[in-house]
Amino acid sequence: ITKMDLMEQGANPNAGQTIKDELAGKCQKLFQAFLEEFQNSDGEVKYLRDAEELIRPERNTLVVSFTDLEGFNQELATAIQEEFYRLYPFLCRAVRNFARDHGEVPISKEFYVAFQDLPTRHKIRELTVVKVGSLVRISGQVVRTHPVHPELVSGTFLCLDCQGVIKDVEQQFKYTQPSICRNPVCNNRRRFLLDTNKSKFIDFQKVRVQETQAELPRGSIPRSLEVILRAEAVESAQAGDKCDFIGSLIVVPDVSQLSTPGVRAESSSRTAGVQGYENEGLRGLKALGVRELSYKLAFLACHVAPTNPRFGGKEIRDEEQSAESIKKQMTVQEWEKVFEMSQDKNLYHNLCTSLFPTIHGNDEVKRGILLMLFGGVPKTTMEGTSLRGDINVCVVGDPSTAKSQFLKHVEEFSPRAVYTSGKASSAAGLTAAVVRDEESHEFVIEAGALMLADNGVCCIDEFDKMEMRDQVAIHEAMEQQTISITKAGVKATLNARTSILAAANPVGGRYDRSKSLKQNINLTAPIMSRFDLFFILVDDCNEVTDYAIARRIVDLHSRIENSVERVYSLDEIRRYLLFARQFKPKISKESEEFIVEQYKRLRQRDGSGVTKSAWRITVRQLESLIRLSESMARMHCCDEVQPKHVKEAFRLLNKSIIRVETPDINLDQEEEEAMEEEEDDNQMNGHDAPNGVNGDVNGEVNGHEHTNGINGHGVNGESAKPSLRLSFAEYKRISNLLVLHLRRAEEAEDETALTKSEVVNWYLKEIESEIDSEMELINKKAMIEKIIYRLVHYDYILIELTQSGLKGSAESSGTESQEKDVTLVCFAYIVLSCFVKCCQSVMSM
Amino acid sequence: MPTVHDWINSPLGIVDGLFGKTQHERSFFFWFFQVPSLNDVPLHYLKPNSLVKFRCMVQDMFDPEFFMGVYEMNDPTSNSKQVKCGKYKDITEGGVDFNSRNTVTSERQTFYCVPIPGESQWNSFAGTSQARVVPSTSYVPNRHKRSYEEDDEMDTQPQQMKDESHGNIEPKRQETEAPSHDSSPSHCTSSLDLNFPLPGEKGPACLVKVYEDWDSFKLNDMLEVFGILSVDPALSVIADEREASSLLDPTEGMETVEEQKVHSPPASLVPRLHMLYAQPLVHNNPLLPSSVSENNGNYLSSVLGELASIRAELLTYLTHVLLGDSLAAEYLILHLISNVYSRQDVLPLGKFTLNLSGCPHSSPFTEHLYKVIQQLVPSSYRLCMSLHNMNNQRMVPRKDYTANRLLSGTLQLANNTSLFLDETQLEQGQLDATGVRNITALGNLISWQKVDYDFNYHQMEFSCNINVLITSEGRSLLPSDCQVHLRPTLNPPNLEEYLSAVQVAQVPSQLNKYRIYLSVARAVNYTISDEITKAVEEDFVEMRKDDPQSMSAEDLHRLLDVARLLSLSHGQNTLSRDGWMKAKQLEALRISRTPQQKCVNGNEP
Repeated sequence: ITKMDLMEQGANPNAGQTIKDELAGKCQKLFQAFLEEFQNSDGEVKYLRDAEELIRPERNTLVVSFTDLEGFNQELATAIQEEFYRLYPFLCRAVRNFARDHGEVPISKEFYVAFQDLPTRHKIRELTVVKVGSLVRISGQVVRTHPVHPELVSGTFLCLDCQGVIKDVEQQFKYTQPSICRNPVCNNRRRFLLDTNKSKFIDFQKVRVQETQAELPRGSIPRSLEVILRAEAVESAQAGDKCDFIGSLIVVPDVSQLSTPGVRAESSSRTAGVQGYENEGLRGLKALGVRELSYKLAFLACHVAPTNPRFGGKEIRDEEQSAESIKKQMTVQEWEKVFEMSQDKNLYHNLCTSLFPTIHGNDEVKRGILLMLFGGVPKTTMEGTSLRGDINVCVVGDPSTAKSQFLKHVEEFSPRAVYTSGKASSAAGLTAAVVRDEESHEFVIEAGALMLADNGVCCIDEFDKMEMRDQVAIHEAMEQQTISITKAGVKATLNARTSILAAANPVGGRYDRSKSLKQNINLTAPIMSRFDLFFILVDDCNEVTDYAIARRIVDLHSRIENSVERVYSLDEIRRYLLFARQFKPKISKESEEFIVEQYKRLRQRDGSGVTKSAWRITVRQLESLIRLSESMARMHCCDEVQPKHVKEAFRLLNKSIIRVETPDINLDQEEEEAMEEEEDDNQMNGHDAPNGVNGDVNGEVNGHEHTNGINGHGVNGESAKPSLRLSFAEYKRISNLLVLHLRRAEEAEDETALTKSEVVNWYLKEIESEIDSEMELINKKAMIEKIIYRLVHYDYILIELTQSGLKGSAESSGTESQEKDVTLVCFAYIVLSCFVKCCQSVMSM
Repeated sequence: MPTVHDWINSPLGIVDGLFGKTQHERSFFFWFFQVPSLNDVPLHYLKPNSLVKFRCMVQDMFDPEFFMGVYEMNDPTSNSKQVKCGKYKDITEGGVDFNSRNTVTSERQTFYCVPIPGESQWNSFAGTSQARVVPSTSYVPNRHKRSYEEDDEMDTQPQQMKDESHGNIEPKRQETEAPSHDSSPSHCTSSLDLNFPLPGEKGPACLVKVYEDWDSFKLNDMLEVFGILSVDPALSVIADEREASSLLDPTEGMETVEEQKVHSPPASLVPRLHMLYAQPLVHNNPLLPSSVSENNGNYLSSVLGELASIRAELLTYLTHVLLGDSLAAEYLILHLISNVYSRQDVLPLGKFTLNLSGCPHSSPFTEHLYKVIQQLVPSSYRLCMSLHNMNNQRMVPRKDYTANRLLSGTLQLANNTSLFLDETQLEQGQLDATGVRNITALGNLISWQKVDYDFNYHQMEFSCNINVLITSEGRSLLPSDCQVHLRPTLNPPNLEEYLSAVQVAQVPSQLNKYRIYLSVARAVNYTISDEITKAVEEDFVEMRKDDPQSMSAEDLHRLLDVARLLSLSHGQNTLSRDGWMKAKQLEALRISRTPQQKCVNGNEP
């Protein structure tokens, strides 16, 4: 409303030319007072030193914090914010006076003011007519810069008729000659010569900014805006940068026409100048008064700064950021949400489900990807070698097992993610290419997907389809986090600090369990070792998961409205991620020992050949373990890596390095699982599913392999009571034997089924020849009992029958069934071959 | 009260009249069908500042501009002042009082609109049939001639205007034949690139000025714009002057020469259209009321009555076209009525990309098949996937920061455009970087119904809804939702003759029925009852039990899509048990045909 009043008031040309702008004059005084008096926390006059700096010839702009101004004089701050364009020359004058008072500056030197820390920020889309002339902050991506050139701000003219000198003809975006020679007897209106030596110039640069993606409504083309930079603000923005601009919206041409009246009122000479221009420009249609009704917009910026990361401007992990600074940039509600999330007991699970709401199951993959997003802490050793903090994940799986969906989700979610296909991209497309510019014929470096994802995630689908030499090309990027190219005389090393999320298909189209991971995918060992985590998705049949899949899919198809439910919105997660990534957790003494112990265990196991790993355990796995632990600690916003973080990291890592296809059977498993359940009760292990651990849809590496290392039992009690383990092949052989025997018995004598003790005895008799000592006999007996227990309770191959009849396998408690002598029967419909198959599938899950 | 004629001939007079009375604009009412259409009437037959309509697609969105919404004029003759409304016009004559306190600055937005890409010939003619009564123009439309002659209504029309159009206009508007479908990279012959998405397109491009609610319009929206045509030559002169003056002083002009060319092209080439009203188009089938989905009640029921018979006839027709393969014809119908009806997170639902394999290499078959489809759907485009095209065509739109506009590409298409990818035209050879990018873009389009526009510093996703049909010899190198291997039962000695004969046999009235059928079937709302949901779930588990390899989650997705489209094609708005069984049978039949080559070198199906 005030604006309208002012518009109208100033719209009267007569009033405008005579009345001095009183408000402006007052503001100038107040602003000068602010500069003289405002003190920082140490009691020094804050802007004094800055003003003294202005003596240097290359300096001319005083940067003032708007927050300071608000604290000093709220009214003045409001006036400046609302009437910025009108007051600007006066504020600059105040700076000039201030500088002159405190230093020897040339009389003719012009000074400028720039504001920073403007609290409110507007979207480019919000710059409407009402914003013209007021001080606003916008952020945008610089898409084009023009060269800097001098702009005439105040011209000195020589009258070609009377040789009189006309000084201080103010210019505003337009070359403006005096309307008439000031010599009263000279009537020259046209022929003037600009005296460049006596005129004042200012650096001037035009850049174009474009709406950032975060602000853009879906389906619209981003708006762009010309920004005019002057004085010290020039050359501070490069194409591609995301910057904040503080200044005001103006309209061109005819700035005087729509600008706030104060400016025009104050400088009568300028108004005259504009009219002179109009007169001079009389030609063609304009003479008939035909004119356009439209104006262009431009933004006159006094201050430029890199964009605040909250708006997706800066990189998600900028070294200069700290958790504290991120917190400061959030609103109260946003911060409360982040805090609430950090306190969430179920955070791990909730984040996973919120990130991938349309993907059923596959919890381990989700966890792995989540940890990848949090990332480890990059380090530099004393020798100067840098160790990456990025976590690389590879998902290998049968066709149609939601691999691409994982990648697509991450691309969608992550602010700096690039999705590309290994099949479609050559090495150049992934890393970087030297291309010859069609117009200038110059060689330029074209960024590849990896560089585009610098400080983000590079999702590569069909990773295995990449040619071998291309795999080598990205090898460097994965470990060194740089890309070097030497081509056509161009040599460059470019940053590619990116996590890689890759999806690969198994060699034969389907994952072959009888082969190792390495045999299953077409990747070289060096590349494979660069991945911290491997996940294997196998399409398996299982009634419960099948139902879940069916429900999910039918649901998607039958409901029109969006049926996606999330605990946290993606924006909330992004903010949380940004905050949590500022933590640089240190490894505690306790955790360090724990890590060493786990690593040693892995090495020993690897060396002894008891467990066959997908590859040899090397120091790379140790690095991975540390990175994953750090990431885990980050997720919980901890400054210290605690053993529980290491534990989960180890669990995930273990899944990916154990040979998935023939995992060892741990017969003491149910005890361990019970313990585990107690320990991390807020971590959903899928125990709610009737068949326990294999509740995941596609049966990734999951479930039974809670290997001994992780839990308390493994740590303190291992030497005392070694867990019973046997290889998968052995387990399969024995179970086949048992089933065969049972079936034969069933066929032969229908009425009297075998009791458990009979079966055990039969088995021991079978292997009589192999048993040497009594000790061994006891061991074997214990083992066969465990096997039967497992066949009953985990694999559902056998059914226990007590006197009362059929006993539900799922609800029986172990102790009870072991004490009574129960009758064992096979599931009637299970034929041997099917058993083997099912068994396999269960094993691998 | 202004009459229809007044509205059409001098809408600005009415606006001024209304403005004089009430001092602000009113909502307007239009006699839609009598308004001449820019699509059909050449620009030089239209009066400047008259009311016109334009059926178009939003190709680009420019930055907003400020203008004088209200201004005051000095009348030198009477020496009095007059307050005027500045809306719906670009320029004013006479002295504007720039210091008037009555001046109000307003904002408006400019969209660059082009005719809907790939609109079929039958479409534009059907649309004009009613516009011929316009009294002020004696023009009979004769535009949009494509590369081939069609036995349609159009040939019966006189071409009297042809010669007149040569005098004072640019080559652009001459009725030249478009080059046939081998698309050259240059989109336009004129010196000014009008930025049509598809090569060889003609028709006017327009700068549509929008006065309210512009954020409700999205890129690639189909609109029918009613507005006031502004073609004053003064516009170009002013632009020239500005160009000249900007050379004098670089700080003066905010625009570069390239920008000016794009943002202020000659009005004779790119007229301005000041929007009074815009109707968003759900479809561009002129045979149907423009918003089927809203008041589908009466209309649909009248169509649904004879739906079964039309479907049967269409199936027979397509079976003949597909050399006697009725299964392929069945799937083709499903494909033609498919539509992305919802998106769940990243997943588009309802798309049904069909790969018709087994098409003979280098034979007129695919060309004829495309002609048949072109006759059935409102808009379509045949993209020959020759190496040359793949390596040279700009498919993905790219932002040109020098001229500050979005350079269009062949994948910038309106909703429900049929994109016919002819892979039989592909030969062995080398794909260059552009080719790889294009293949990737096609793959993404098919898989996610999205095109990543190239904004140089980043890519920006734009959702789309394009029906992709791929014809190939073997399985296509592109992904597809469904592959049908063609199994001809007929072997006509002269394929070309046979196919032409099949096409000619369809009388226009019959074709119109098909066209209505396809658009209506697509618009039917569809639900699945809880009971069927349960049955489907159980069925899935049962099928997996038998053979888990034969039924993956992906297969269930497809099966549900087939069931949905099959029900829709029969005009049913819900899935029945019977429909589910039929869908399963259809799928079983299809799969039995395609040799199980699913996992050749690990390629996903």
